[in-house]
This record gives sequence, structure tokens and C-alpha cells, in this order.
Amino acid sequence: MRRELLLTIMCFLSLVAMAQKKEAQQVAIQTSAICEMCKEKIEYELTFAKGIKFVELDLDSKIVTVEFNQKKTSAHDIRKRITQIGYHADSLRRDPEGYEKLPFCCKDGGHDH
Amino acid sequence: MKFIHVLNFVLMSFAIRQTVVGQTYSGVVVDSDNQPLIGASVQALGSGQGTITNVLGAFSIQTEKGTRLVVSFIGFDSDTIIIENNDSIRVLLKQSSTTLGEVVVKSESTFIDELEPIHNEILLESELQKAACCNLSESFETTASVDVTFSDAVSGSKVIRMLGLDGRYVQISRESIPLVRGLSSRYGLGYIPGTWIQTIDVGKGAGSVVNGYESMTGQINLEFKKPENSEQLYLNGYVNSFGRAELNANHATDLKNNWSMAILAHVDQFNNEIDRNDDGFVDLPKSRQINFFNKFKYDGEHIKSQIGIQLMRDEKAGGQKGFGFGDDHESSSMYGFSNRTTQVEVFGKTGLLFPQKPYQGWGFIYSGSIRDIEAGFGRNGYEGSQQTVYLNAIYQNIIGNTFHQYKTGASLLYDRFEEVFADSSFNRNEVVPGAFWEYAYLPGDAFTLVAGMRLDQHNLYGTYFTPRIHARWQASNSTTVRVAAGRGYRTPNAIAENVRFLVSARELRIDEKLEPEVSWNMGGSIVSGLRLGERTLQIVGDYFYTTFEQQMVVDQDASSSQINIYNLEGDSYAHSLQLEASMALSDYWNVKGAYKYYDVTTTLNNELRQVPYVAKNRFFLNASYNTKYDKWQADGTLQWVGKKRLPDTSDKPVELRRGSFSPDYVLFNAQVSRGFRWGSIYLGAENLFDFRQSDPIIDAENPFGSEFDGSIVWGPVPGRVVYAGFRYKVKRK
Repeated sequence: MRRELLLTIMCFLSLVAMAQKKEAQQVAIQTSAICEMCKEKIEYELTFAKGIKFVELDLDSKIVTVEFNQKKTSAHDIRKRITQIGYHADSLRRDPEGYEKLPFCCKDGGHDH
Repeated sequence: MKFIHVLNFVLMSFAIRQTVVGQTYSGVVVDSDNQPLIGASVQALGSGQGTITNVLGAFSIQTEKGTRLVVSFIGFDSDTIIIENNDSIRVLLKQSSTTLGEVVVKSESTFIDELEPIHNEILLESELQKAACCNLSESFETTASVDVTFSDAVSGSKVIRMLGLDGRYVQISRESIPLVRGLSSRYGLGYIPGTWIQTIDVGKGAGSVVNGYESMTGQINLEFKKPENSEQLYLNGYVNSFGRAELNANHATDLKNNWSMAILAHVDQFNNEIDRNDDGFVDLPKSRQINFFNKFKYDGEHIKSQIGIQLMRDEKAGGQKGFGFGDDHESSSMYGFSNRTTQVEVFGKTGLLFPQKPYQGWGFIYSGSIRDIEAGFGRNGYEGSQQTVYLNAIYQNIIGNTFHQYKTGASLLYDRFEEVFADSSFNRNEVVPGAFWEYAYLPGDAFTLVAGMRLDQHNLYGTYFTPRIHARWQASNSTTVRVAAGRGYRTPNAIAENVRFLVSARELRIDEKLEPEVSWNMGGSIVSGLRLGERTLQIVGDYFYTTFEQQMVVDQDASSSQINIYNLEGDSYAHSLQLEASMALSDYWNVKGAYKYYDVTTTLNNELRQVPYVAKNRFFLNASYNTKYDKWQADGTLQWVGKKRLPDTSDKPVELRRGSFSPDYVLFNAQVSRGFRWGSIYLGAENLFDFRQSDPIIDAENPFGSEFDGSIVWGPVPGRVVYAGFRYKVKRK
């Protein structure tokens, strides 16, 4: 009984561990995010993009830290993805089409009333 | 322009509140169009502090840095934010939960409503998804407050218990319309598919008088997926290792002129015969169900209205292997079990509002249902039908100012029952008009008192007087105390509520004049948050005492060849104690542990005895892991169930006796799910240790003999089941 219990818990934990295995490459990208909603938008889109393990955007510095699998994606792909969402990414300019779709508060001047 | 006002208000309130002792944090709650949300609830987790946003959507709350604020508003996804600095907080709530492509912030999946005077635990959709199978009876697997057990060895149905007492004392409702009562009180939980449910609100102790007199130990209110904000399309498929398959399809859309509509559909099928304990009886009956729900909602400025219909047909066929759907009980050589339930319900609600006076309003709730049951247990047939009409009119207003609020109104309940079992028939018409008045004293955030009473005139049983009182006191920043007391009534249904005993050779002896059950319930809870470094340990303790003035006593002990059902003569009571602690260990990990103690005693045959099948002690442990935006979710629930008293079988032949107590046992459920933009996939297991009661049926070789008994069931009959499924969602436009 006890052995079974331990085994199961271990299985469970290893499954979880698999989900967050950290053999990943890390990159920090400067973005043009200005608010909580931008942060969510970028984090959400990147979280579900191919090959990405972990995303965290710091609103003070506007830097997004991304952990990714080198075999599936690259830092350049990630920057490109951010521009498609509608934000600048390091030296890459934002994609006008993505920018148009952003909610009002995430656009230029959305917060200076 | 509006934004400037909001900003000014926030800055002003911030400046003013800053001088108050302690730290005050302010903010504003808006929707995705940047419009302020008025009346959104903001609660500091663990501290017991709570407030509501004003007409500008602004709030201020006194709490500490690092506190988690749960922000919720009807029709919107709740959000949890952590206070990190002194900046004004801006919370953006989004309509409808977890829709595709939309930005969704991780939220707490269960919380205790801090402002409610009744101890309410709210389970959000994300919590319900942790136990992906199948219907309402499984929805409580990750919750300590409700116990779920198998009802017998043959029907495969599960029943709930609350405060140690039978689930029939819990008032179950869907959006305040009573459900799962009367003849469906045993199998009814299986008629509510899990994917239809948006939230479950579990209230312990006597409920509000507004909803009737039937909530004796608690209330469970369900909110189904809503026409106005649910996903445009939601598809769910599920299969398990027994071979059960399920398909759910929900659709919601806006129509013209403030109307919206939702269709919820469910089918399931299970056709395999599984007999792992080799007693010749299947461990789970074959089953098939088709279930359909359609609701329309009108959302106007002065009138809000909804109307809907539910159609359901469920068939089960079990018993000895080989007994199938539609087989004849009389001519079959096998011991068969079958149940076919058909039900139709039409229901609606209308609210009249006064936009200038948000505290004033009229509400009308109405529902009519027809239910037909055809069942068989061995050679015995059962037929039952129930027709119910329920009307409730509620008026609410204030006395002078909003410190004093009241609700008053009148209701009418009509029930027609017809039951035929073997050679006896039981018919009953109930007509119960009633009136209620409930007063709420709300002097501020720190104290709430709700006192209500109702009078109902029952055509068969005379006058019912139901007083109830609830109070909530925020003793400190981190501690909330609640107390409650109240009376409750219900009419027992001797056969429908004791179908488990029909799966036996026991002679059914029912007192001809069963009285309505009458109980008093009193108790209270303490919710407290303890700061441990960065995180808060939330501790919940509750104690409830239920005592019966009158009860339908089910006596299985007097003789193992009888089941005696009679009116209580003597004492009958239940003490229930629950201690629960929960904590977020990191941004990803949450753990919750609970201990429960029940002392449930009743007078059987002039002797005070422990009620059978109730474990005195239980432990519950749940751990969950969530990555951002629910990309990965994992969940495990461990339950230890202590020994239970079993009914006396000492008058049986030695080899067919059972012990006086069942052994204790452990159940473990686990699930992993992976989120995608389009939805999620999941893999899970129930009863992973494969614990089974090995001998659920006494004398299974002779089902038509005099010793046969399939009712002495204290543990799971089917064992481990592994399941997998998907959820596909299309966002609302």
C-alpha cells in the first residue's frame, strides 16, 4: 500500500517535472508594452507559441524574458512573433496589422489622458 | 473623460485613506472596453477584508503588501492579483471564462465568499475541470466539504453527504430553482453533466429563507453556462478505461434585441460488462443518456428575463452479467437491475429593476417539471412519477438607507407523487403556499446580520414555521467569524430515497404515517489568514450541529432480512467538525489539507446508535500545479476514509456475515492537462490505488434466495479507472 502510494506520488511529480524541464535557452527582449493588458497579451501569445517554455514580462523595464527550446524556435522567431502581436521587439519594428488589432489602452497614448 | 474622473477618484481616495492606520491600497476595476465595473467584489485572500467597487469602479482596501486580491463580478472571470507596490491597482476583468485566444489571468479556483453572511465555498470552472469526469456527483472530488460515496453495489450511482448527513438534507438548486429533489434525489446528480456547470456554490448550514424550507444541512447552487457570456462553441469528448464514452457540446450566441441563447447537449454511453470482483454481477451498470438544455435570456435596462427547457432520458441496466437494456425482469432467469428516467422541465426567471435604485427590485422564479421512472430490482418492479410546479416571487428594497435591506415574497410549491413498488402503491399530492421575510443589517464591511422567517401552509402536514439567522463579523484584518442557525423541513419519499435497499432480499416495512422531517441546524465557521513570509496560510474551521425533531429513520439493524422505515422516536443528531488549511507554496503550487470529524447518531429501535456507513474520521489532501495561462495543470487528491459502522448481520449464517466495521481505506485521484489556444487535453485517473470493496454483495450466488443483500456498500465497487479527453473552445465574437 505504502509503496504504491509513494510510486504514484513520484509518477505524479515526475510528470509535473517533465512539464517544466529546464534545458532551455533564455533570451531577454526589450518590448514596447505599456500596461498590464499588454503584458498579458504578450505573455499569453508567447506561452502558447511553438517551442516556448516560460515567459515573464517585467512592466517596469518592459523586458520580456523567454525560455525556449532551440530545436523548435529561435530568438529571432520570438522577436518576430512579438512584432506580429503589435509591439516593438529590440530593434525590430512592430507589425502595423497587429498593432491595429490591439485594444485602445495598449496603443500609443492609450494611457495619457 | 471618464478615465480622468476615475483617476482623480483613485488618487483622492488614496491620499485620504493613506492617513488611516495600516496600509490602504486603491484601484479600479474595468472591463475590456475600459468601462468601470460597478459593484465588483474585491477580497483580500486570507485576511477576511473585502469591499465592493463604487459607481466609478473604484475601490480601496486596507491590507498588506503581498496580499492576493480576488476580484470578481457576475458574468466575468474572477481575477487574482498580488499587491506588489503602492501604485494604484488596475484590474481588468474579462467576460466569460477561459475563452479561446482571449487573455486570461490565472485565478483562484475556489474561494470563500468573504462578504456573504453564509459560509459559502465557491467552486469555479477551473476547479471543476480538475475532476474531468462526468457529472455533478464527481464535481466535489477536489472539495473537502462534500463527501461522495457509492449508493449500492448495483446501480453505480453516487450520492453525497454533507455535515455527515445524507444528501437529501441538502437543497440543490440551479440558479435558485430547486433541482434533484423528490424522486430524483438518489440518481439526480447523474442527470447534470459536469461540462454544463459554470460555478458551484456550496453553503454549509441552513440557507436563506428566500429559497424555501428544504435546506436543512446546506445548499448547493449551480450556475450553468450562460447565454450571455459562454463560449460560442465548446466541445468536450471523454473516454475511460471501462469503455464509457461521453460527448458534450455547448453553444451560446447573441440574438437580436438584447436576447441571447445557450444550448447545452450531452450524450453518454457505457456498454461493457465489468465484473472485477467475480461475483457474477457487473460492477457498474450499462448506461446511456441523452440530455438537452436550452435557455434564452433577455437583458434589458428595466427587465431581465430568462426562460429555458431541459429534456433528459437516462437508462441503466445492470445486475447479473447478461442482463441488458429493455430485458424483462419477470421472465429473465437473471437478477437484473434497470432504471429508466425521463424528465422534462420548463423554467424561467424575470427580474424587474429600477436603474436609479439598484437596491430595489422584483424577482419571479417559476418552474414546472414532469419526471417518470420505470425501474426493476430482481423480480420487483418500481414505477414512479413526479409532477412539480414551483413559483417564487421576491421583492427587495431598503428601509431608509442601504444599511437596512429586506427581501419579502411568496411562494407556491405543488408536488404530485405516484409510486408503485411490488404490490403497494404510494400517492401523495402536496400543495404548499408560503410567505417569507428576510431582513439584512449591513452597517459596513465588518458586520452583517441576516434574519429571516417563513410560514408555509402544507396541505397534508399543517403549518411550517422556519426561522433562520446568519451573522458575519470581521473580527480583524485576517479573521472572519460566521454563525448560523435555522430550522428546516422536508417530506421524505420512503421508496425513492431508499432504493439501495431494494437491491436485497430484505422485506421493506414502511410506517404508514411517515411524518415530514424537521431539523434544527446551528453552527459557525472561522476563516483566518496567517502570514508566513511572502505567502498566506488560510485556515478554515467550521462546526455544525444538526438535531432532528422528526426524521425518517432507516433501520437496517433490527433484522438482516428486513428494512424498517419509521418515524424517529428519541434523539437524532449530527456533530460535524472540519478543519482545513490551504496555501500557495509558490506561483505554481497550491496545497490544501482537511480533517473531518463526524458524530452522527440516531435512535434505532429505542437505542441510540451510530448511523451506519458514516466514517467518524476523514483526511483530505489536495495538491495542484498550474503554470501561467494554464498551459500545464496537474492535480492530485488523496483521501483517507476511516472505518464505518456496518449494519448488524449477526443473524445471518456465519459465512454470510459481515464485520461490525468496515476497514479504513485510501483513494487517490490525479489528473494532468495541457492547455492550448484552442482548448485543452487531459489525462487522469480515479482511484489510482485501485481500492475496492471486494465483497459488496452478500450471497451473490443466490440472488433470489433469502440472504441476498447488495445494500451493504461502504467503499468503491469499481476500481481504478483511467480517462482522457479534450476540450475545444471557440471564443465568443
